[in-house]
Amino acid sequence: MKIAVCVKQVPDSETRINLAAPAAKLDQTGFTRVLNPYDAYAVEEAVRIKEARGGEITAITVGPVTVKETLKKDCLAVGCDKAIIVDDPLLAGADEAAIAEVLCAVLKREAYDLILFGIKAIDDDSGQIGILVAEKLGLPHVSTITKLELGEGSLTAHREIEGGREIVDCPLPAVLTCQKGLNEPRLPSLPNIMKAGMKPMQIVTCADLGVAPPASLVEIRQYSPPPARGACRLITADDAAAAARELARVLNEEAKVI
Amino acid sequence: MPNIAVFIEQRDGAFKKVAWQMISQARKLADANGGEVWGVLLGGDAAAAAALAGKHGAHRLFAAADGLERYDSERYGTALAAFCRAQNPDLVLIGATAMGRDLGPTAAAKLGCACVSDAIGLKFEGGAWEVRRPVFAGKCFVDVVPKTAPAIVAIRPNAFMAADGGGAAAPLASFDAGQAQAAPKAVVREIVSADGGRVELTEADIVVSGGRGIKGPENYALIEDLAAALNAAAGASRAVVDAGWVDYSHQVGQTGKTVGPNLYIACGISGAIQHLAGMSSSKCIVAINKDAAAPIFKVADYGLVGDLFEVLPELTKAVRGIRG
Ligand SMILES: Cc1cc2nc3c(=O)[nH]c(=O)nc-3n(C[C@H](O)[C@H](O)[C@H](O)COP(=O)(O)OP(=O)(O)OC[C@H]3O[C@@H](n4cnc5c(N)ncnc54)[C@H](O)[C@@H]3O)c2cc1C
Ligand SMILES: Nc1ncnc2c1ncn2[C@@H]1O[C@H](COP(=O)(O)O)[C@@H](O)[C@H]1O
Repeated sequence: MKIAVCVKQVPDSETRINLAAPAAKLDQTGFTRVLNPYDAYAVEEAVRIKEARGGEITAITVGPVTVKETLKKDCLAVGCDKAIIVDDPLLAGADEAAIAEVLCAVLKREAYDLILFGIKAIDDDSGQIGILVAEKLGLPHVSTITKLELGEGSLTAHREIEGGREIVDCPLPAVLTCQKGLNEPRLPSLPNIMKAGMKPMQIVTCADLGVAPPASLVEIRQYSPPPARGACRLITADDAAAAARELARVLNEEAKVI
Repeated sequence: MPNIAVFIEQRDGAFKKVAWQMISQARKLADANGGEVWGVLLGGDAAAAAALAGKHGAHRLFAAADGLERYDSERYGTALAAFCRAQNPDLVLIGATAMGRDLGPTAAAKLGCACVSDAIGLKFEGGAWEVRRPVFAGKCFVDVVPKTAPAIVAIRPNAFMAADGGGAAAPLASFDAGQAQAAPKAVVREIVSADGGRVELTEADIVVSGGRGIKGPENYALIEDLAAALNAAAGASRAVVDAGWVDYSHQVGQTGKTVGPNLYIACGISGAIQHLAGMSSSKCIVAINKDAAAPIFKVADYGLVGDLFEVLPELTKAVRGIRG
């Protein structure tokens, strides 16, 4: 099995965004960067498949080379075999469609049986790139998977939907986007982190891939802080029961939400 | 003329109400800027959809049925792309549901057009659409302008209000869904429903969530009872999900579901930044927590400092009294 896992480095989920007024750009300096949590499910699933069947896993990312440590620790040290970084200043501000084009250019260089993504990146919260890549490569895709069984030349995946799941049969090669519940990602061990330093990490530009930096289809106009919320009104009463009744009354008569 | 097409999602013949919310909002935009609102239905009952679409403001309904009874990304993606090529809408709105999040990028890639996910606001200004969406799990908003026509925009359920304009059934036209009938490569073999009749978190008007303060899985019933009394969906913090007390499908937050109901009641939830990420766009937030210093009170509109084991049964009783 040849497996590709597309991963992104994102600001840690604890990150606070201090934006007092609308701004054309978001200052992201000083953010702690980690592997996108959903991509960890994709990496883990790839490693489990390799452990069961053998094969090779390539982790691919588009972004500045500062991603190296994350790739080493969270991809190579847990079982990926090599990494490819597309670092190109011409891609600054690229949207989902443009990143998907670049990933396709990388993915076309080898024949992968399976291409794994996270369901979404927790910074742009967009959840598009895996599906865009599948369509651009003309491959079938199953998104938001919580369970995967591989057959010979095919797979069966469980796809989460509202109130249940779809069970989807799909031939290989295929593209999957991974949701929480699929597996429990392992943590890298210290010796493996040391050894990961020996694994190949290739850094390329769009020119190396033979593609022009793709155009974005969406233009960013401005970032703004979410509307501020009013002060909290505390409901007090002599005892819990009275407070509960008062809360119900306020929600019904004043807030008119029940 | 900026015509707006709205995808009407149906599963097993049941329509998703986000469709009527989008049609209502699209109609307001069309009334202000010219252009028409078109419903687009794949599979399902076209006459029923035409009546509801018309009532909420659609000018027409385009429907295709062959091979489209049940969702799969290939046939639906092909059908929606064929519709866009034939009718040239300026904007295509899709609900940001499990189906919509799959269909949007699928159709966009086929059309080579822009796709914007999970939007909560939409404006037409100077001949261009401006779409507002939360990023960084709602910690900030971004306004974006799609540079293609059509542009596909997924709208978060409950971001807009449905308005019953009382219109007549929308005139119905069927359309050729292109290759939609061809067998897909990825085949949905079966649909398994988790537990029937449950109110879906992302669509609910009211959500009641429990956190680690409920102490154990047996006490999640307190959350479910209040939810049942309010006809609400039951949610949970990640602490509760990771402890195995409830299924992941209940998790609200940055790595769970994003909800924006009219009322969100957080019980025994501290209000970690990752939890707030999934619910801070709720219109009214109530916090019930025994720790007056819990961060959840910073985002709450109403707070009750108390022991949830004492408060919740009484609150459920009081709600039953009010709602009859
Ligand atoms: C990458 C990442 C992603 C994450 N994603 C999510 C996510 O999607 N969703 C999410 O929720 N969390 C998420 N978290 C976890 C988050 O950081 C918190 O750990 C979690 O939200 C805490 O859950 P909690 O509020 O239920 O528990 P706690 O923080 O332990 O809070 C329990 C609260 O219950 C109160 N309490 C206790 N007993 C009672 C009582 N008898 N009556 C009333 N109140 C009582 C306490 O005062 C306390 O405030 C994520 C974390 C990381 C690192
Ligand atoms: N810059 C990137 N490089 C490689 N993979 C990416 C990149 N951005 C996103 N992805 C992948 O696409 C998924 C969805 O991202 P998004 O559509 O941006 O929310 C992520 O979980 C990653 O698997």
